Amino acid sequence: MIEALDVGKRFGKVTALDSVSLEVPRGSVLGLLGHNGAGKTTLVNILATMITPSSGTARVAGYDVVSDGSKVRQRIGLTGQFASVDEDLTGMANLVLIARLLGAGRQQARERADELLAAFDLSDAATRPVQGYSGGMRRRLDLAASLVGQPEVVFLDEPTTGLDPVSRNAMWAVVQRLVGDGTTILLTTQYLEEADRLADSIVVLSHGRVVAAGTSAAMKAGLGRRTVTARLRTNLEALDARTVLERGGLAPALDESRDSLIVPVQGFQDLSTIVRLLGEARIEPAEVALTEATLDDVYLALAADEHKVSV
Amino acid sequence: MVDTVQPVRTGPAPSATAWHGSGVGTQIVILAGRAVRPVFLRPSRLVVSLIQPFVMLGLFSQVFRSMADTPLFPPDVSYINYLVPAILFTTATTVSAQAGVGMTSDMRNGVLARFRSMPVRTFSVLTARSIADLARGALELTVMIIMALLIFGFDPPGGLLGTAVAMLLALAVGWSLGWLFLALATWLRGSENVQACGILITMLLQFASSAFVPVASMPTYLRAVATVNPLSYGIDAARGLILGRPVGTSVVGTLAICLVLSAVCSVLAARGLDRTGR
Ligand SMILES: Nc1ncnc2c1ncn2[C@@H]1O[C@H](COP(=O)(O)OP(=O)(O)OP(=O)(O)O)[C@@H](O)[C@H]1O
Ligand SMILES: [Mg+2]
Repeated sequence: MIEALDVGKRFGKVTALDSVSLEVPRGSVLGLLGHNGAGKTTLVNILATMITPSSGTARVAGYDVVSDGSKVRQRIGLTGQFASVDEDLTGMANLVLIARLLGAGRQQARERADELLAAFDLSDAATRPVQGYSGGMRRRLDLAASLVGQPEVVFLDEPTTGLDPVSRNAMWAVVQRLVGDGTTILLTTQYLEEADRLADSIVVLSHGRVVAAGTSAAMKAGLGRRTVTARLRTNLEALDARTVLERGGLAPALDESRDSLIVPVQGFQDLSTIVRLLGEARIEPAEVALTEATLDDVYLALAADEHKVSV
Repeated sequence: MVDTVQPVRTGPAPSATAWHGSGVGTQIVILAGRAVRPVFLRPSRLVVSLIQPFVMLGLFSQVFRSMADTPLFPPDVSYINYLVPAILFTTATTVSAQAGVGMTSDMRNGVLARFRSMPVRTFSVLTARSIADLARGALELTVMIIMALLIFGFDPPGGLLGTAVAMLLALAVGWSLGWLFLALATWLRGSENVQACGILITMLLQFASSAFVPVASMPTYLRAVATVNPLSYGIDAARGLILGRPVGTSVVGTLAICLVLSAVCSVLAARGLDRTGR
């Protein structure tokens, strides 16, 4: 549904995107992760036909974003990084305006606006000018505005930035619901938890390049980042335990401040190996846990690599 | 917010019922309505924009009255009758500068960004803006002429018909200058420079023209500016109409200038808008 092939974008001397390729199948969610300035917004803007790429091609809903821009615009909804609603108009008037521009009749437009205002908990504020809205209300109105035309593809640029936890959960529910109804979504985020929760697949951008791509599970597995953490009762015990595990062929790292050993492992069977080795040596840990790598680990690992390269 | 309420249509619409964008005409009407609305919604704005021509009339008729006694001034002409055509045009110019300001605020608050991701044409957005300011101009000029007639002793020898045609001419010039200011706004990408540039250009157009004093009385360099200024031609034509004198080709000439100016500037404005953020 969304395909980008070697998309590049230069702003004068700044290379915002450098040959980015990605694909989002119909009805799925792609999470685009990246630090500030990585090029997330630039990529979204290219896919939403707001700006033209300097190189490469991209297709959205089957149409080329450059040569068939108007066809693409009929099929997408964009919630940009910064709210784009008319401050002078009421929430209601904003949505009606958009529905009318999309081709709805007066009556249809009002109905659609009512429906969306109710869904986004804005009915009470419907007749107030947007000027008086809170940041979260604006954000919700903005999202509602991009869904007026029931688009096939929705772009969400940092949709939950600046939302409180309740609104964030609500936003997640909206996204899940959209996907359930068959909408294809590309969302950018700085929140790894968000990408992990919502996205079927993840692309990590760094300095305009794709540095990692795949499902969140595959990405974690690929990094071999499952770890067993064993907390011992004394420092001495921790040192003993390290020797035992090293003899057993593992590579434990000692976290001295917490008398803990952190052992990278392949899978569940390694956990039982660790328990057995420690048991045989009569070492009794206070706590043993197998932890899945979080996306944070992935991200930090990539950032660390990045750092090494650039130093 | 979502699971507490009745189901909402979120997913993609079946293509048969999907809204794929209204026609250009409808878009222009809707967007122009949006652009005019604030003027009428906020009474304070409306009052200010109506006070302006009143102040202009009062101020200029007092300050420059002595002009009528200078030897270069056409004899047998009352200064107010000489002044009204000029103020028609200077007011129209001020109104058209507002088109640029309105566009600037749209570019800033992101509304335009949203339109640009929708099936809305650049042309509709710009035309709507220029039409909105045309409507505002028509209102201001009408009020101004009524005030001039009732309060300031305006008594056009060219009659109401001549005055009406002069007003339409002023609107045509204002409309084409509106495109100039729109082009300016889109190329300056909505920066605060638009306002400053707008004021500068407005001042230059208004004062280096035949608006308030005969061009012949100006120093050479100002005379040079005044002779290429579209406002001068429009004002000369409007004066002919209002004073009931033969206008020759000046009306047609003014309209031709307007046409060329709007054609060039509308293309420039559309280009400027399309390149936003590139
Ligand atoms: N219009 C522009 N002109 C010049 N440079 C630009 C422009 N837009 C973006 N850039 C540059 O391109 C790079 C990528 O910017 P982009 O906005 O895509 O990053 P981002 O990943 O969205 O960042 P953030 O998380 O801060 O929103 C940055 O270095 C930025 O300075
Ligand atoms: Mg961004």
